[in-house]
Amino acid sequence: MKASVVFMADVLLDARHISRSFGRRPILRDVSFTIGPGTLTGIVGENGAGKSTLLRILAGELRPSAGEVTLHGALGYCPQTVVLNDALTVEQHLHYFRAAYNIASLDRAYALVERLDFAKYRKTLTGVLSGGTRQKLNLTLALMHDPTVLLLDEPYQGFDWETYLRFWDLTGELRERGCALLVISHLIFDQQRFDQILALEHGELHPTAASEAAPAR
Amino acid sequence: MRTAYLTATRYTLLELARNRLAIGLLALFLPIWYVLLGEAVGTGDAEFKLKSTGTFVYVDAHTLTLLTAGFNAITLIIGFLIFASTRKGGDFDRRLVLSGLSQPVMVLAKLSALVVTAAAVSLYAVLILLVFWRPENLALVWMGLFSAALIYGTFGMLLGVLVRSELAGFFIIIMVSLLDTLFQNPVDNPAANKDFLAWFPSFGPTQLAVAGGYLNTMSGRMLALSLAWFVGFGVLALLIFWRRTRAWNARGRAQQRAG
Repeated sequence: MKASVVFMADVLLDARHISRSFGRRPILRDVSFTIGPGTLTGIVGENGAGKSTLLRILAGELRPSAGEVTLHGALGYCPQTVVLNDALTVEQHLHYFRAAYNIASLDRAYALVERLDFAKYRKTLTGVLSGGTRQKLNLTLALMHDPTVLLLDEPYQGFDWETYLRFWDLTGELRERGCALLVISHLIFDQQRFDQILALEHGELHPTAASEAAPAR
Repeated sequence: MRTAYLTATRYTLLELARNRLAIGLLALFLPIWYVLLGEAVGTGDAEFKLKSTGTFVYVDAHTLTLLTAGFNAITLIIGFLIFASTRKGGDFDRRLVLSGLSQPVMVLAKLSALVVTAAAVSLYAVLILLVFWRPENLALVWMGLFSAALIYGTFGMLLGVLVRSELAGFFIIIMVSLLDTLFQNPVDNPAANKDFLAWFPSFGPTQLAVAGGYLNTMSGRMLALSLAWFVGFGVLALLIFWRRTRAWNARGRAQQRAG
C-alpha cells in the first residue's frame, strides 16, 4: 500500500488492485481503473455496492486493505453527505478552505458562487440554508482551488433543474481545462456525457455497454 | 502556515461563541447556581484539608459553597461546549485536513481556542463571584477556575471524539462534574477531606482556589497537578483526533509538491 504523486500526461488518477474489507466482509475486490485529463468517468452501482468506500479511498479518507492509488496534481472531493459547519457563514467557509488549500485569492470561489446562483447567501449561516444551497456550497468547496482531479459522490442530489444544467456546464468547462472528473452515483442519467461508465457490482468493477460505446477522447 | 493557524483559531472561536445554549447557561445558570447553592449553606466554619500544607484550615462554609457552585457551573458549561463542538465538527475538520490544512495547525488552533475560551469563561465566573464574596486573592481563585475549565475542556474534547451520542456525552459530563466538584466541598459531605478525592480532576483546581481565596497562598504542586490532568486528557483526545482526521495517502503534502 502506498500513494505517490507522479507526473504523467495521460493518466491523472491511477487506482490499482484496490481491495477493502470491513471485518471479514469484503467490500471492494481488486478494483483497477485509470482516468485521463479532460475526461468524465462514471461509476455506477446499487446501494451497498462499495461506491462510497471506493471514493473515500481515492480521496485519502480511508486506507485500502490492499492496492495503490497514484494521483497527479490537486484533488477536489465532494462528499455525498454535505459536510459544512452550521455555525459559519458561506463567506467564512470560503475563507477557511482558502487557508486549507493555501490559495492566494478567492476569485474563483466567488465566480462559482455567482455561477451556482447563491451569492445572496454569502453572509448567511449555513445552518439555516436550504438543502439545495448547502449542496451548492459543498460543491463549491471541492472546486474553488481549481483541482486537476475531481471526485464527486452523488453530486446532483438536491439540485433543481437549473442547477443541474449549470452543473453540467461547469463539468464541461473543467474538462476543457484538462480536469479529470469521476462521478459516482447509483443512477447515471445523460450517459452520453460520459467518456466511460464503469459498473461496481459486489465490489468488482466492470466496463458497461455504455462505456464501450462511448467515443474515445 | 501562520495565516492557516489564525484562520482556524478564529473560526473555532467563532463557532464556540455561536453556541447559544452555552452562552445562555453562562448568562443565567451560573449566577442562579451561585445564588441557589449559596442560599442552601449558611455562614459557619467548614474544615477543609489543604494538601499543600497537610493541615486543616477553617473557612466559611457559605463562601466555600459559592466557590463549589462556580466550579460545578463552569466545568459543566465548558465540558458541554467543547464536547458539542468536537462531536459535531468531526467530519468538517476531516474535510479541512483532506483539503490540505495541516494537522499540527488544526490541533494548535483547537488548543488555542480552548485556552482563550477557558480563560474568558473563568474570568466571567470569578467576576460574578465578586458580587457575593471578596476573596483574599482574586487572581488565584481565577487560576483555580481557569485550570478546572481547561481540564473539563479537554475532557469534553475526549468525549467528543469517543462518544457518538450527544445525550450520552452530556450525561457523562453532568455526572462527572457533579460528583467531582461537589465532593471537594466538605460541607455536609460524607466523603469530606478523604484522601481518594486527590484522584479527582477538580482536586488541584479547588485546592488552588481555596488556598488563594482564603490564605492568599499559591501551591506550585497543585498547579502542576491541574496541568497534568489537562495535558493527560488533551494528549489522549488530540491523538484520537489526529488518527481520525489524517489522510492515508498524505495528500496534503503531496499536493503541495505537485502544485
